Amino acid sequence: MKLSPLLVPFVLLFLGGLTLAVSQSLGFWLPLPYDGGMFDAYTALLDPHLLESVGLSLYVALVSALVSVSVGAMLAYAVWRLPDTLERASVVYKVPLILPHIAVAFIVLVFWTKSGLFSSVAYHLGLLNTPAEFPSVLYGNYGLGMILAYTYKEVPFMVILGYAVLKRVSPRVVVAAKMLGAGEVYTFSHVVLPHMYRVMHVVFIILFLYAFGAFDIPFLLGESSPGMLSVEVFNLYFRRDLANRPVAMAVLVCMFLFSLAFIVLYTKLASSLEQKERKL
Amino acid sequence: MIPRFIYALIAFVSLFPLLVLAGYSIAPGWTFPDIIPSRFDARAFEYLGSQAPSVLRHMASSVLYSLLTVCLTLMLCLSPAHHFARCDFRGKATLEGLFLAPALVPVMTFSMGVHSLFIRLGLADTFMGVVLVLTTFSYPYMLRALVAGYQAIGPEYEQCARNLGAGFLTRLLRIELPLLVPSIIAGGSVVFLVAFSEYFLVFLIGGGAVDSFTGYLFPFLTSSDRSVGSLLTLLFLAVPVSLFVLVESVVTRVYRNRGIY
Repeated sequence: MKLSPLLVPFVLLFLGGLTLAVSQSLGFWLPLPYDGGMFDAYTALLDPHLLESVGLSLYVALVSALVSVSVGAMLAYAVWRLPDTLERASVVYKVPLILPHIAVAFIVLVFWTKSGLFSSVAYHLGLLNTPAEFPSVLYGNYGLGMILAYTYKEVPFMVILGYAVLKRVSPRVVVAAKMLGAGEVYTFSHVVLPHMYRVMHVVFIILFLYAFGAFDIPFLLGESSPGMLSVEVFNLYFRRDLANRPVAMAVLVCMFLFSLAFIVLYTKLASSLEQKERKL
Repeated sequence: MIPRFIYALIAFVSLFPLLVLAGYSIAPGWTFPDIIPSRFDARAFEYLGSQAPSVLRHMASSVLYSLLTVCLTLMLCLSPAHHFARCDFRGKATLEGLFLAPALVPVMTFSMGVHSLFIRLGLADTFMGVVLVLTTFSYPYMLRALVAGYQAIGPEYEQCARNLGAGFLTRLLRIELPLLVPSIIAGGSVVFLVAFSEYFLVFLIGGGAVDSFTGYLFPFLTSSDRSVGSLLTLLFLAVPVSLFVLVESVVTRVYRNRGIY
């Protein structure tokens, strides 16, 4: 009974929204009469163009989450090792967290377009003469722009959570490891890192699922063919014929089922974490 | 030496993009191949100055729906968080995981359905609709923070107050809420930030009828003149930062006056 207030957002909107997506993907409750079969929309998912989008989304999500978690873990260690005064001043690393995703995408745009800031630097270093010679970082079909934006935005998230774990680890373990002859790299990978493993797994799942399905950054930085899944769905839903709506919904249902598997994993992992180490 | 270098690196990577944006906002004509802008003018400032009422309207609307989202999530999550923190029952971990799901699954998967639902209910393109959908997506952060808060406080204060005859409302207002303030601030800041910086949901459910700062910002980010977009982005940062500073200083002052801190 005490859980009942959550019924409004959870059951009514979350489950309600999902139910509507499922039923529309099967051809019910559509704004237009639908004359296809029940599972037509799902067979349309095997279209090679859509499968390429799936591949791109998985790839961008995987790379950006992996890079964010690894860089974030190293930075968390670096911040933890800083002397006290600098440690407190290092809150500036949270700046990208406050920036909205579209602003981070804008920053990537400013730096990495062919006539952007890095291109100008390369010109002054004598590496190129015209902007056209700058490599196509943004629209080069490898999703690099999106990966850069996600990474910049998400590294601080890993730093915050990794740092929260390290706060409770005695700095003496590092001293002890060094006295016993461990090098800098060995100390990090064998002494410090194991403390962060669990939180790293949790953060990886959060970031991976976010990058897999989010819309803001791909909308600004994405390539059109193949596009990220979220943008494809958006186009199917709004820009093309209403007859495409079941297909859009079918993609969403599949995305949901895919992320559900990760959430089961997340629940198992997260419940083994200390309360203070969890943000979600 | 090395710590200073690491610190400088972190600060540089975090702050340098903002410096570049500041550069663009005072030098609209900054283009390839200049590393440092060659001509400065106040075009972006003049433009925004002339648009001030509109900028303020969008910003106020964003702040308002974000604050309402924070309040709504707080009201919805208080009692469930209490339950999760105090009681043990079968399937608790699974149920908690389920309740956290809206923040983890791609927003699109349920928001498209919600959009269709809202069109039928007449909530699409309304302020209330935006607040509701933002709540659905962000309440897990508040729930998490409150559960952690309740667990940190422990059940003793409540029991003690109950033994002394305090009713439900007295316990809530005079024992639980004051003790929960740090958790409410922690959860509330995340919820505010998530709601305030969300572009897609507001754009989908608000449909342009609900003003939002991100919606106002977006076309400037895609335009070839980067100066206005840069200036607006910096302005965007100012809102949550000043709000956090305000909350922090008010809370510290109250705590000090009561001799807690």
